[in-house]
Amino acid sequence: MYHFDWLVFWHYLWPGTALQNPLIRSGLIATVLVSVIAQVMGVILGLFAALGKTSKVPPLRWLADAYIWYFRGTPLLVQMVLLYYGLGVTHIYNFPDIHIGFVVIAGAIQAGTLALGINEGAYMAEIVRAGIEAVDAGQMEAAKSLGMTYGLSMRRIVLPQAAKVIIPPLGNEFNNMMKTTTLMEVISAGELFFGFNQINALLFKPFELFIALSMYYLALTTIWSVIQARIEAGLGERKGNVKTPGVFERLAGTKFGAH
Amino acid sequence: MAENISSPAATIDTSIIVKAEKVNKYFGSLHVLKDIGLEVRKNEVVVIIGPSGSGKSTLLRCINHLEKINSGHIFVNGRMIGYYEKNGKLVEESEKNIARQRADIGMVFQRFNLFPHLTALENIIEAPVNVRKTPRAQAEEDAMRLLARVGLSEKRDQYPNQLSGGQQQRIAIARALAMKPSLMLFDEPTSALDPEMIGEVLNVMEELAKEITMVVVSHEMGFARAAADRILFVDEGVIIEDTTPEQLFTNPREERTKLFLSKILN
Repeated sequence: MYHFDWLVFWHYLWPGTALQNPLIRSGLIATVLVSVIAQVMGVILGLFAALGKTSKVPPLRWLADAYIWYFRGTPLLVQMVLLYYGLGVTHIYNFPDIHIGFVVIAGAIQAGTLALGINEGAYMAEIVRAGIEAVDAGQMEAAKSLGMTYGLSMRRIVLPQAAKVIIPPLGNEFNNMMKTTTLMEVISAGELFFGFNQINALLFKPFELFIALSMYYLALTTIWSVIQARIEAGLGERKGNVKTPGVFERLAGTKFGAH
Repeated sequence: MAENISSPAATIDTSIIVKAEKVNKYFGSLHVLKDIGLEVRKNEVVVIIGPSGSGKSTLLRCINHLEKINSGHIFVNGRMIGYYEKNGKLVEESEKNIARQRADIGMVFQRFNLFPHLTALENIIEAPVNVRKTPRAQAEEDAMRLLARVGLSEKRDQYPNQLSGGQQQRIAIARALAMKPSLMLFDEPTSALDPEMIGEVLNVMEELAKEITMVVVSHEMGFARAAADRILFVDEGVIIEDTTPEQLFTNPREERTKLFLSKILN
């Protein structure tokens, strides 16, 4: 019978001891920062792709369609290795480490973040587009008839209203993003999964270590669910009529389907 | 007035606010506006009536270029709207110039189209602040005057969903007036309202009719009688009748007009 090593388990579960290990400490920081940066990139790219997709200019529409088609139609893992190793081997871009003061951002982290962000943009594009289309066409007409340009009407009138439709699925995307960062392990980017994997290579306690690791992701996504519920409750308050799901409904996935 | 329509000098006559010449508009194969000619003079109030699908709302929406036209010209204050002429062909104006032209034309919609994420006051100052670059304090002062004028001063901080339909439409009128337009367009402004709220909106419009040029698509005959200088009867994309309210109600020229009036007056 397998002897469960409680000592190893508790050591790597309890943040007080686990975070003393630099692999886990920097891994956790990397996982959170990469998720946030990649998600922000995704939102920005998604916004432009959505505007491109709804544009009256055909080349912009084609560009947006091609982007969404490719990045939703191919595996993220393949996009990531293509970006990192592919650009490296051709010397198009080698992803050199970036030094900012004491902090070193490894090339693999940069490439991984970029791949996650670009991939996310293709998914956000559809979410943003649905948000824009949910806003009554009369809003754009009213803004235009007041002398507002397309850009100003979008920024001041349509997007703030679309945000209410965009934010709930955006929160789910971010939940997903935090878990998807684990793919970066393949290009040896030092995020949390990579850290635990390195430790496992030394200790060979995969059962104990990966249960502990899963708890870290569970903690991250749970904290995020609480924040997301607060944000949505705030939105609903101003609108005055939307019932947003609570944290428990959200965690159990009874309202929003999992990916 | 009809004899002036084709006169080229009329386009620089400053007393003419709206001038349409031979305007044609198609939706696909449907010919919705057929060679429309129209003049609206300064301070005139013109009410457009006609059966649904007659093209009356489309005509109104062409005046501020919310709808494109296929041929003809529309001038507001002597400037061609939405297009410029190049080698005898109409070319659509840049988006920026179209926006600039629209800033001087107020529009009130059937469904109000207030911005739901902004308060009444914010709805009114939105365009003055962001389009005209009026200082915020000045814009708010102007907005409060407009709110007082439509009788809704105490609603300044309410959101549209906290207001009744009639109140929303009065805010929408104030919002359009905040740009100090030289022309106001009303697209069936009372059709989406409960009957008891129609009066409050028409009262505001009647007051307004004394001082600003208006083109109103509406079947409110009481309003037309009280405020209109002219009534146009539009059917199947053609202006069938262009006359005074008295003339129209007592002695309509065309059989189609009589038929239509008998329907809406009962």
